[in-house]
Formats: sequence, structure tokens, C-alpha cells
Amino acid sequence: MIQLHNVFLSYQKEVTALHGINLHVPRGEFVFLTGPSGAGKSTLLRLLYAALSPTRGQVVIDGQNVTRMTRSQIPYLRRSIGVVFQDFKLLPNRTVLENVAITLEVLGWSKQDINKKVFHILKQMGLEHKINATPLRLSGGEQQRVALARALVNDPKILLADEPTGNLDEENKDLILNIFRDANIRGTTVVVATHDRRLIEHSHKRVVTLEKGKIVEGPDVTQ
Amino acid sequence: MSRNKQAKRPKLANEGFTGRLRFFVGRALLNIRQNAFVNIVTIGTITLAILIISLFMLVFVNLEGVANDWSKRVQVTAYFEQELAPEELATLKSRVLAIPGTDRVTYVSKEEAFKRFRERLKGQELLLEGITTDVLPSSVEISLKSASRNSDAVAVYVDRLKKVPGVTEVQHGEEWVRRYTTFMNFLRLAGLLLGSFLVLAVIFIVSNTIKLTIYSRKEELEILSLVGATRFFIKAPFLIEGILQGASGAGLALIILTGCYYAFLHNAGNFLSFNPAAAGLAFLPPVYSVGLFVSGVLLGFIGSATSLKRFVSV
Repeated sequence: MIQLHNVFLSYQKEVTALHGINLHVPRGEFVFLTGPSGAGKSTLLRLLYAALSPTRGQVVIDGQNVTRMTRSQIPYLRRSIGVVFQDFKLLPNRTVLENVAITLEVLGWSKQDINKKVFHILKQMGLEHKINATPLRLSGGEQQRVALARALVNDPKILLADEPTGNLDEENKDLILNIFRDANIRGTTVVVATHDRRLIEHSHKRVVTLEKGKIVEGPDVTQ
Repeated sequence: MSRNKQAKRPKLANEGFTGRLRFFVGRALLNIRQNAFVNIVTIGTITLAILIISLFMLVFVNLEGVANDWSKRVQVTAYFEQELAPEELATLKSRVLAIPGTDRVTYVSKEEAFKRFRERLKGQELLLEGITTDVLPSSVEISLKSASRNSDAVAVYVDRLKKVPGVTEVQHGEEWVRRYTTFMNFLRLAGLLLGSFLVLAVIFIVSNTIKLTIYSRKEELEILSLVGATRFFIKAPFLIEGILQGASGAGLALIILTGCYYAFLHNAGNFLSFNPAAAGLAFLPPVYSVGLFVSGVLLGFIGSATSLKRFVSV
């Protein structure tokens, strides 16, 4: 599903963020990307949803070579990728419903279908009673669940998460992890960048450790 | 094995050109409602900008109107030694009319000239005692087309007029024409300079305001591009919003201008020593009003388009 071949990325001539990354994530796998701050976790994720393109090497997502894509092809790639962030990135002046609906509006769904589908996913997240609230009235955990609902509402093939539990307490971390697991069980390939050791140890999934822009072989805890 | 497949594609709501247009206009209106404050700021800025430009144009149009009235005084008079026979006069008139720049030719006979002279000396008619009508020459008074009412054109005209047989002397108030031409040149230059500065300032202020309002919503642009919106899908509602802001701003400015104009027309008599209605104070010609409205719409559209270019990279 995700393949990186000898990927290098330099921000400026001098600063190299990624050094010869080779990574293969098969369809339906759940992978944790970990490593200290500045190791290149976020950069790697940004390559996967084509917000950055590598200086050298190839990035292949779902059989498509992202490095060869034109600017106008990228949106169609992103429709099969859900992304969540530590800071949730919700629109504060829109309701929960409107925030989640954006994903489906982009696909051109009718309002009726959007309402049905959004209600359904919010129910899965235990947030159906907050459908008309604005994000500022929600707790951090609830906001992250709304962000997850937005990422998962169109059943993406890949879910990417950048420090998704960074701002959350233990209880909410478990809730979020369960949502990731559910999505993964339904077939979504999940890549989570985090330096939360507890989260990684709890989940018993494959771990890829990055250090200074390189993959260092870490303990592979795949069952 | 993936159990995940793209959910069955539901019926799409916004197919076809009108469907998409309706969706984008709806989205733009929703955006305006949800971002009322920034929209009020943008519309207010455009209103003020167009109002400043239109006030300037109104003043300029009226100044030009006044100057145009003055220019009617640019007149050339050709004198003849002797009274002309009617057929001679007709030939002469047609020769003068053939000179480019001639607008109207009026014959002033010796009697007519004497009558005007007498009127000027009203109250002192005694001075004219013993003087016959013969003392004044007959003449033709020529008014010029507006394009020829400047010193260079008048000089060329006078040269040609002098060559017409029968004309002995030509007078054209040289000094007055020179001053008038200088004044008009100054007026146009000052108008052009001031106008350009105003337009530049207005474009600068409006485009920066729009840039700031779009900047304040850059997270929305980012999210849209994250969930796979095409560039067109992201930009279209913002561009429609820009057009609506421009149209409302310009419309509002024109309404305020019209209101101010009529309020001034009706009340200025109280505090000014002249009555503006009687002085022929004109409103902007319709072409100018339409031009201002279109400029407002363009200002909103182009301002949004250039700002979006910065923030929508994918």
C-alpha cells in the first residue's frame, strides 16, 4: 500500500530531513512511526499525503507513484487518505456536522446522503449528541474524535496520524487508539507517528523508529 | 485482505454547470454568514475606496464641465475692409466652414457691430454723436470645435483663416486662449496624477485587506486541500465571495454618492453663496457609474484571486 524507495528530502541545500528511507507498509497493516522530536516523523507523513515531494527517491501509494503526479492529480490521491493532527485542525466557526461533512462535500455527495453518513460515523465515535455544537465547546478528546470522523467518513484506504494523542489524557488516548484499531480491522492501512511509548506498547503493532532522518531497526513487535 | 471499499457512490448533488454554480454560490453565501466580521471589513474597505474615487471623479467631471463652458469663449473674429455682397458672403462662409475646426460662423454686419457698440456705451450715447455705422468694420465670428480650442490649434486655424481672400484682420484673444490652455493642461495633469495615486492607494489597501481576510481563513484552505478538494473547488467560493463583496461595496458607494449629491444639491444653497442646482452641477455620467461598479467587482475578484494564489498551493 505504501512504498518508499531510497527517499531523500532536503529542506534547504544543507539541511537534510530524510536520508535514504526504504519502507514498505502492506495493505491493511498498522504501523507506528516513532523517534525523538526532529527525527523526521512528520516529514515522512507529509510525503505520504503529498504535501512534500522528495528530493530523491520514489514514493508509491496504492500503486501510484506520487513523485510523478501532477499538481492536479494530488487531490484525487488525497481522497483515499485520511489525516489527523495533534492540533485537530477543526474549523471553529462551523458545527461538528459541517466539519465532518467537508470530506463528503468535496466528493460531491448530496446533502441528504452527507447528513446520513456523518450521523452514522459520529454515532460510532459516540458524538451524535454533539452534532450541532461548535468545536470550541468540545473537550480535547471529543475534538480529536471529530477530526477522526472527518478523516474516516469516506472510508479511506490509508489513515495517517501525526501525534494524535499529544494533547489528550490517558482515557482519551485509549478511546482514540480503539478507533484506529477499528478502522484497521475494517481494512484501512494505519500509520501513526508518535513518541508516546505507552501507546506503542499497548497496541502490539509494528514499530518503525526514525533517528536523524534514518530508519534505525527498532523492536518489531508484530505478533 | 481489505474489506474496505469506497462506499457505494451515492447520487451526486451538484452535477452540471448550474448544479455546481448553485453549490458554489450557496457555499459563498454561507461563508459570508459565518465570517460576517471579515466580510463587513472587506465590503467597508471597498465601499470607502470606490467612494473616494467616485467623489474625485465627480469633482473632476464638474471642473471639466465648467472649463468646457469657458472654452466656448474661444472665438476667432475675421474683419473685412468692405461690406460684402450676399453672394460674396456666402462664398466666404463656405470657405471658412471648410477649414477644419470650424464649428459655427456668424456674420456681424456694420450695423450689427454699431448696435453692439452702442449697447456697451449705454448711458454715454453722447460719445457716439456724429459717428456713422461706417466706422466699424463688418466681420464674421467663428466658434471652434472643442478639439481646436487650445493655443496651438487656434494658431494653425488663424493662419489658414488669414489666407481666405477678403479677410483683412483676424483677432482671437491670444492671451486668454494661452491661459486657458495652460489651465486645462494643469487640470488634466493634476487630475491624472491625483487619480493615479488614489487608484494605486485604493488597490493597495483593498488587496491587503482581502489578503488578510483570506489569511485569517488559511486553515480552512488547508483542510479543504487535505481532504482532497481540487484547486477549483477551493477557490470558486472565495472568488464568488470576492465578486459579491466587490459588487456590494461598489453598489453601496454609488448609493452613498447619489445620496450625498442630492443632499448637497438641495441644501448647499443655505450655506454657499450659489445655488448648485442653478450652477448646473452634474452627477457622474452613467458610463462612469457603470465603470465604477465594474471596477468594484473586478477589485473584489482580482484581490481574492491573487491572494488565493499565495495560500492554495495544491
